[in-house]
Amino acid sequence: MKTGRVIFITGTSRGLGLGLAEHCLAQGDTVCGCSRAPATLTDARYSHYELDVSDEKAVVAAVRAAVRRHGRIDALVNNAGIASMNHALLSPAVTAQQIFATNFHGTFLFCREVAKAMVRQKSGRIVNFTTVATPLRLEGESLYAASKAAVESFTQVLARELGPSGITVNAVGPTPVPTDLVKNVPAAKMDALLARQAIRRFGTIEDVINVVEFFLSPQSEFITGQVIYLGGVNG
Amino acid sequence: MNATDENKTAAVRRIILDLLPPEEGDNPRIFGAGAPLDSLGLVNFLADLEYRLAEEFGREIVLASDRAMSRGRSPFRDVAALTEYVVELLAE
Repeated sequence: MKTGRVIFITGTSRGLGLGLAEHCLAQGDTVCGCSRAPATLTDARYSHYELDVSDEKAVVAAVRAAVRRHGRIDALVNNAGIASMNHALLSPAVTAQQIFATNFHGTFLFCREVAKAMVRQKSGRIVNFTTVATPLRLEGESLYAASKAAVESFTQVLARELGPSGITVNAVGPTPVPTDLVKNVPAAKMDALLARQAIRRFGTIEDVINVVEFFLSPQSEFITGQVIYLGGVNG
Repeated sequence: MNATDENKTAAVRRIILDLLPPEEGDNPRIFGAGAPLDSLGLVNFLADLEYRLAEEFGREIVLASDRAMSRGRSPFRDVAALTEYVVELLAE
């Protein structure tokens, strides 16, 4: 059993983030989580910050409070994300702003603030979240895929910037997992998407946890700037 | 400048000097030609400085602000410029 890690996971009120937080707590880790909604987890080793990940002041305050409380942050998992399925010509400008605010700006802000603590520690692991929608260039998901393409590019450059400080930065790209994020996608669209995977099934939370744990593993200290897609999708 | 401001300025300057390698002169350079810190050194120094300022003043400030990056002369060039800039941020 791994114990003693301090892990900050964003978007922990439901879906993958909640599953990841429960997994880490079961491993004996201390978990800091956040979401716009109140906490849905109750555990002595869990602390929750109610915030919007694109709110700079709120992110700065939460991360520094976590560092003061626990003395360090060993890993950051940038899970928080929103999706919007629509043809580009039918997408309101405000949707583009919201998707980039949460998916990219939120990832950037948490990386920046947590990395400041990790640079001082001279160690750390950052795992960002992308999607198979980006390499598959899925029609109807242009904004979502573009925001995650930004996350991938940011991940790879950040890996180079933080490598000398003993910090790895990687990304996991899940296939659709039956969570709230994909519940409004029509079944025919989902079937067509699954057909483009080498292994044609929905992903599970366990599939995602497996890749996250791989990146967090002490043995993965030489692995950085990488994007791993699930389901046999290639970048 | 009143006594409180003078104390704050002196405290900020002391914290900055504590975190820098020892240098001679009244206004040691921090970053740029002939300065002791390279890019990575500056990143480490600013990360430390933000945490020290929070401990000392109870304020969470972000040094890499729009204001810092849009200035004609970098506030990170020497101790006097950085002290003045931090005092401005603390006054907001």
